[in-house]
Amino acid sequence: MPQPLRYLQIFATFARNSLIRDMTFRANFLIEFISSLSWVFMNLGFYILIFHYTPSLGRDTGWGKYEFFVFTGTALMINSLAGMLFMTNADNFGELIRRGGLDFVLVKPVDTQFLVSLQRVDWSSSGNFLVGLGLAVYSLRCLGVWPSPVTIVLYVFYLLCGVVILYSLMFLLAATAVWLGRNETLFDFWFYIVSFGRYPMEIYEGRFGRPFRWFFTFIIPVLVAINVPSRFLVQSIRPQSLEEWLLPLYTIAATVIVFAVCRAVFQLALHSYRSASS
Amino acid sequence: MAAIEIRGLSKTYRVTRKKEGLVATLRALFRPEYEYVHAVRSIDLTIESGEFVAFLGPNGAGKTTTLKLLSGIITPTSGEARVLGHIPWRRENAYRRRFALVMGQKNQLWWDLPAAESFHLHQQIYGIPPDQFTRVRDELTEMLGVRQLLHRPVRELSLGERMKMELVAALLHSPQVLFLDEPTIGLDVVAQYTIQQFLREYQARTGTTVILTSHYMKDVVVLCRRVVVIFDGQIIYDGSLTNLVDHLGDYKIITIRFSDGQVPTDLSRFGKIILREPPRVRLRVARNEATEVIRAVLARYIAEDVSVEDPPLEELIAALFASARNSRLSQERGNSAVPEDTTHSANH
Amino acid sequence: MTYPSPAIVDTIFAPVYRWRLWITILRISIQERIIYRGDFMLGTLMRFLPIITQIFLWGAVFSALPTGNGSEGRIVGYSYHDMVAYYLLTMLSRAFSSMPGLASGITREIREGTIKRFIVQPIGLLEYLFFYRLAHKLVYYSVAIVPFAVVFYLCRGFFQETPHGLVWATYIASLVLAFLLGFFLEATLGLLGFWFLEVSSFLFIYMLLSFFFSGHMFPIDMLPEPMATVVKLIPLQYLAYFPAAVFLGKVQGAALVTGLLVQAGWVIVFAFLAQVALRRGLRHYSGFGG
Repeated sequence: MPQPLRYLQIFATFARNSLIRDMTFRANFLIEFISSLSWVFMNLGFYILIFHYTPSLGRDTGWGKYEFFVFTGTALMINSLAGMLFMTNADNFGELIRRGGLDFVLVKPVDTQFLVSLQRVDWSSSGNFLVGLGLAVYSLRCLGVWPSPVTIVLYVFYLLCGVVILYSLMFLLAATAVWLGRNETLFDFWFYIVSFGRYPMEIYEGRFGRPFRWFFTFIIPVLVAINVPSRFLVQSIRPQSLEEWLLPLYTIAATVIVFAVCRAVFQLALHSYRSASS
Repeated sequence: MAAIEIRGLSKTYRVTRKKEGLVATLRALFRPEYEYVHAVRSIDLTIESGEFVAFLGPNGAGKTTTLKLLSGIITPTSGEARVLGHIPWRRENAYRRRFALVMGQKNQLWWDLPAAESFHLHQQIYGIPPDQFTRVRDELTEMLGVRQLLHRPVRELSLGERMKMELVAALLHSPQVLFLDEPTIGLDVVAQYTIQQFLREYQARTGTTVILTSHYMKDVVVLCRRVVVIFDGQIIYDGSLTNLVDHLGDYKIITIRFSDGQVPTDLSRFGKIILREPPRVRLRVARNEATEVIRAVLARYIAEDVSVEDPPLEELIAALFASARNSRLSQERGNSAVPEDTTHSANH
Repeated sequence: MTYPSPAIVDTIFAPVYRWRLWITILRISIQERIIYRGDFMLGTLMRFLPIITQIFLWGAVFSALPTGNGSEGRIVGYSYHDMVAYYLLTMLSRAFSSMPGLASGITREIREGTIKRFIVQPIGLLEYLFFYRLAHKLVYYSVAIVPFAVVFYLCRGFFQETPHGLVWATYIASLVLAFLLGFFLEATLGLLGFWFLEVSSFLFIYMLLSFFFSGHMFPIDMLPEPMATVVKLIPLQYLAYFPAAVFLGKVQGAALVTGLLVQAGWVIVFAFLAQVALRRGLRHYSGFGG
């Protein structure tokens, strides 16, 4: 069987096993499902309130209420995919190190990073994805925008780039558990850094905003993860500078680089793994 | 060709010395002090294909570390090893498809799912053809008597049943080399026996090369002809089990049951009394004097029953470890002028 | 049925001889907390990271406000600077009023039965938890004061006028009351565990409501009408909104005094509820031999 297909098949089994497990503890699953949805609705309530007072985020940025909701829908989809596929696993990696469970992963004839990253699928975040999708579609309808098939393909492509960027940053931090032990602070760090990207990059404006925007675009590329795919859908945003045109191209490069760095650090971590006894 | 070849294999761990108190913790942040733990020191070992070898040694002797090195889980500090021609720590898929590791103290099956689901996952991970998978799985579960438990969540299985499932999971891809780290630890006698019989039968039939570490001498006696004793990271004995017993067991245990319920009081002149429980007495006697002692006792007293046994293996091994420890200690005492070898600290 | 003596008499104005006991709990708890300092400082600093986004978000919101309708770049009376200052101040309020792990800890003690030790020990559960929490907070402040000071210094530009003495006094009083209210409110929720198995859902709802209605994301004046009135009637605003509003001079004159009195009233209500819940709960507990 060709390699990619085999990996896909293994992932399908992981997803299936996780679902069986979630269904065994149905009440627990339901609580998590509802609670993560509630946070989404709370945040949406906050945004609705903001747009009750202002017509747009920033003057002449084009981020009106529904444009911003397309953006937020995209943010929800990217974040929930990262949460669904990788969050539990990143969290579990510290535990694998601490209790030596990584031993069994290391002896399997499948890429270790693949196994570690995708073992569990957190189905309870799937609701957030659907809400994100629904929000994006609804807001597009309100705007009267119908994206072309090409736009949709580009959108999906950049959405996946966004997921890869978030994944790479997450596992870059998770891998350090080999040297530092289980570290909650690092996960908080990931969460806070990623939250910077939950708003259109235009809000980072002015004397401090510009360098900030630059840093989180070119050094830690969290701002491109959600901004770039959203821009493809909300065409009302006119490219304002050369930077705007180069951004999609840069995003591909950033995705590749940040993933390569994550991969390298992860391999180094596996090399330094000491394996706890019992 | 040898299945496993090890030359000068060493593993040294560097551990940070932990200190109590705020100031010491802060200082350690900038100038950590390290200790070096030599888990494995320059081991040489060759194991032929199809051998069933036991690693014996006290806790922390380096048995498990050696198995982890051979599985490619950890990377050695120096030295070489080849298993089936592969260098384990390169972690090549070609190698990983050909061996299996079972650890009695860790489990790899999904806790909340039936074992059947984990097996299915293993089928995909190892790329086992469906018909072969079903055949091997049914064979193994049949042999271990756990076939009817396949669809019960692993968390509901007993420790013994779980261990049997772990074994099945590890053997599904028919590995050529099998590493067993304490596979019977914590199990009841019945489960231990079943697993011993299974391993014996399985190994005899498939000719798999097996390395076993165990605390239960019974496992070793039943399964392994060759024994490698590891102490403090070094091999101190490598040979057959019978040789080891002959080499160490220079005494026999004689148990006498006296018929009149009275136990003579002057028995200590024949040997060391290790148990006195009228009407029974156990004596420890030098091997070459055993016949003489029995004759003398029978001539003097009326005995109902007399039996002669080899000393228990546990006792022999314990004696071996004790003597190894003593010789180490005296060695260190002799070298006290130079820095200690096992642990020394360094500032960086 | 006879009720036990009013709660607060026991808990707050307890006889003087107990002060030695209190000091002891405080000292032991402080020592215990210090051991866990770990990457505490870093963790605390990181919790300020969302401020950056909030500053820029409000900046963007205010920059696009329609002009010429008389409100001149204000939202419900808050200028951009007020808004950021408000956000910073609610972080401070929440440093006092949030009680991580308090309710869930009580529920766990109930579920595991360890709460019974307070029946025989010469110290009440609430008394013990109160001083434990106080110690926890004191250690937290002693460390967190550094990042708080740094952030407030960096953001000093957002505070346009410093309040005068009386406002300062009211502000500090409202922070102390916020701490007490947070403590007794969460303790009451945790004690519901005597009667309900799944308190975590209550806690979740509480968390959700306080996220929105305590005003720690935005001033509750921003809420539209039916909600605005409801929010003024429930105690959540005293956990975050009220102290910040006092500092910013949004509450003045008689409202200042009434606000403070109502806040104190809520503290008394929940202190009483907690005490009653504990006594009846313990009786309920031994009733079925739990």
